Amino acid sequence: MAMIPQTLHLLKPRWWPLIHGHGDPRHLFRSGIFALMGLGFWTGIYLVSRRILDYFQKSEDIGDILAYKLLSIVLVTCFSLLVFSAILTVLSKLYLSKDLNLVHALPVPVETLFLARWIESTVDSAWMVVVFTLPVLAAYGAVYRPGLFFYADIPLTLVPLCLAASGISALVVLAVVLVLPASRIQSVVVFLGISVFIVLYLAFRMARPERLVDPETFSTVLGYVEQLRTPSPPYLPSTWAFDSLKAALKNRWATSLFHAGLAWSFAVLMLFLNLWAAKSAYFRGYSKTQEAMIRLFRGRGMFLERVLCFLPGPARSFAVKEIKIFLRDQTQWSQVFLVAALIVIYLYNYSVLPLEKSPIQAVYLQNVLSFLNMALAGFVLVAVVARFAFPAVSMEGGSFWIVRSSPITLRSFLWIKFWIYLPPLLVLSETLIVATNVLLRVTPLMMGISVATIFCLTPAVIAVGIGMGAAFPDFESENPAQSVTGFGGMLFMMAASALIGAVILLEAGPVYRLFMAGIRGKQISFWLWSWSAAAFAGGMALCIAAVVISMRFGETRLKQENAHVSKL
Amino acid sequence: MIRLEHLSKTFGDSVAVSDVHLHVRPGEVFGFIGPNGAGKTTTIKMMAGILLPTKGSVFIDGVDMAEDPVRAKLKIGLIPDRPFLYEKLTAMEFMQFTAGLYNVGKQAFAGKSRELLARFSLLDRADELIEAYSHGMKQRLIMCAALLHAPQLVIVDEPMVGLDPRGIRMVKELFRSLAQNGTTVFMSTHTLRLAEEVCDRIAIIHKGRLIATGTLQDLQQHIQNGGADLEQVFFEITRE
Repeated sequence: MAMIPQTLHLLKPRWWPLIHGHGDPRHLFRSGIFALMGLGFWTGIYLVSRRILDYFQKSEDIGDILAYKLLSIVLVTCFSLLVFSAILTVLSKLYLSKDLNLVHALPVPVETLFLARWIESTVDSAWMVVVFTLPVLAAYGAVYRPGLFFYADIPLTLVPLCLAASGISALVVLAVVLVLPASRIQSVVVFLGISVFIVLYLAFRMARPERLVDPETFSTVLGYVEQLRTPSPPYLPSTWAFDSLKAALKNRWATSLFHAGLAWSFAVLMLFLNLWAAKSAYFRGYSKTQEAMIRLFRGRGMFLERVLCFLPGPARSFAVKEIKIFLRDQTQWSQVFLVAALIVIYLYNYSVLPLEKSPIQAVYLQNVLSFLNMALAGFVLVAVVARFAFPAVSMEGGSFWIVRSSPITLRSFLWIKFWIYLPPLLVLSETLIVATNVLLRVTPLMMGISVATIFCLTPAVIAVGIGMGAAFPDFESENPAQSVTGFGGMLFMMAASALIGAVILLEAGPVYRLFMAGIRGKQISFWLWSWSAAAFAGGMALCIAAVVISMRFGETRLKQENAHVSKL
Repeated sequence: MIRLEHLSKTFGDSVAVSDVHLHVRPGEVFGFIGPNGAGKTTTIKMMAGILLPTKGSVFIDGVDMAEDPVRAKLKIGLIPDRPFLYEKLTAMEFMQFTAGLYNVGKQAFAGKSRELLARFSLLDRADELIEAYSHGMKQRLIMCAALLHAPQLVIVDEPMVGLDPRGIRMVKELFRSLAQNGTTVFMSTHTLRLAEEVCDRIAIIHKGRLIATGTLQDLQQHIQNGGADLEQVFFEITRE
């Protein structure tokens, strides 16, 4: 078999189930809901992009420059996301997938195997980024009204961008797996996690996005315009995509095709470099990944057992196991680094807010922001719970039979999970809210309200995460952390966001009145006190209800799921 | 059919397989036994071209696995102990997938796949998704797929795991008939009775080293006990 037909054949297990119609109705229903949500999100991105571009167009002098700068930033971000996503996907597809023993035993040249896996990784890592970049480009099309060539140029530039990102990632992964000690494949994930964090952070800071909206930091208007006109680095694939699309927007076909040609030539070069590297390095790297792993931490003592001695026997055993596995599973660490990056950027943004330049009274703005910050911190909490607490039940994987056969109820099992995640996440969310409030210099009243609200919301969001994760477990997944991208994960996000929204809405009215009364030096009436007390009690009741209902829901569904599995 | 020369594999500081030297003839049913962690699966993985040896070479029908892995693998049908199958494919689709990779023509596939699926009692469920199969059925499907291209060598790691009594009998008969038709069967197993019943020769591996090879009579001579069965031989040879 020649290379291309053989590569396509290796991809068949992926697309056969789709075309042969094995999808069950439940899956189709879920896909339908996903598609609808995606469409809503897509439309939202389009409308926001359109509005921003229309706004830019009102400024005749620098409107186009701003629009092109925005396009350049969108493409750099898109390229960074593609590289990040491809690193994780390539690593998983080339070295960690369950079917690798099967495919490596097949009589297929190693470069053909690599090519099939690389194509799969490229599609998996890129499709979502591409789908959500399209509405931004469609908005450019709607505002600038270029010819049809612009729309033809979109795939002509985005496809090589994806191939380039995936090609660079694959080369990095092929090299890193060989360079690092073979027995530490999971350390590779940590290494890549840190690298990606540093690259993303540097890229973010180097872009200095705050300059875009603050002409005062430049000595003259001319300086501002010049800064905006500064071209992107010419060696970045995103720059070739940008140059091609920009030329297509201006109907300059030849220039556009030249830059698209640059992008394609680089993509093809990456493909050949990868095939060449894979021929000599892929199988050696794969063989090394099968060797026994060496633990980075070797705790031999009974420290955890002693710390958790207040727990009853089975609960203590599960808690100790949970903590040890978390600390030893280095794939979790890359997640921790990413969360840390998110929080650093979050706090940094608050530290550079130009509040004193605002035309609105600073104390008012600070406290309004503080109130909104509760919701934002809540959403950060949802993101963190989604990565750690939601997959907690799925993490049991094939070992779930141990839980079922142990002398411990499913209810206790879920509560152990809950209590393990509560302390660190409570410390995290309270630190986040206190730190941002200190940066905002809010009043003690707002500080108190924020701390109390987050104190109630944190256990509620964790319980929703654990409960939904138990209701929709994925014990088969190669990477249980990805279970949050499924139907259960989507329900969790919706339920947790709705809970945060409901609590914030309940508190919004009385907090505003209390705050304004404080600013104006007015006496707080009995009616306002009662309303505030009722609102906070309502918020707390919602949180308690969320904890109880979610945990029970998770328990009931997990029992049913287990019954279903036993029947098979 | 199989030639292992000074085959070694180390994982960090631990030696999994050490200087294994072995020659298996065509048409032979060869048993490979040893305690847990002795290096059986590691050896099989190196023979199947899934794992690179640290030292030494694997030759399949004269083809060096390191030099020409594709040609070597074409001669092998591998049946692992914990097989991975694409759960969202049907059994027939999985067979089709395998046929494509081993260059089994369409016409040959049509007859051979039905024949094998019928032989392993899977024909009436050939269009069901593999995810609905029991462990034993998956094991039987892997056997069908491994035999589809009529390999010269069948490598089996723990063939009896998950099989019911009917399946076990089927496998025994299969190995015998394969050997009669000239196919070599290399089988790693803990089921000593099976090894005793179907294997022409047996090798015992312990702590990564091949410590005895030969027919049951050779092994009995090795421990100087002519009446010993394989179990007694095994315990005597692997005694600490």
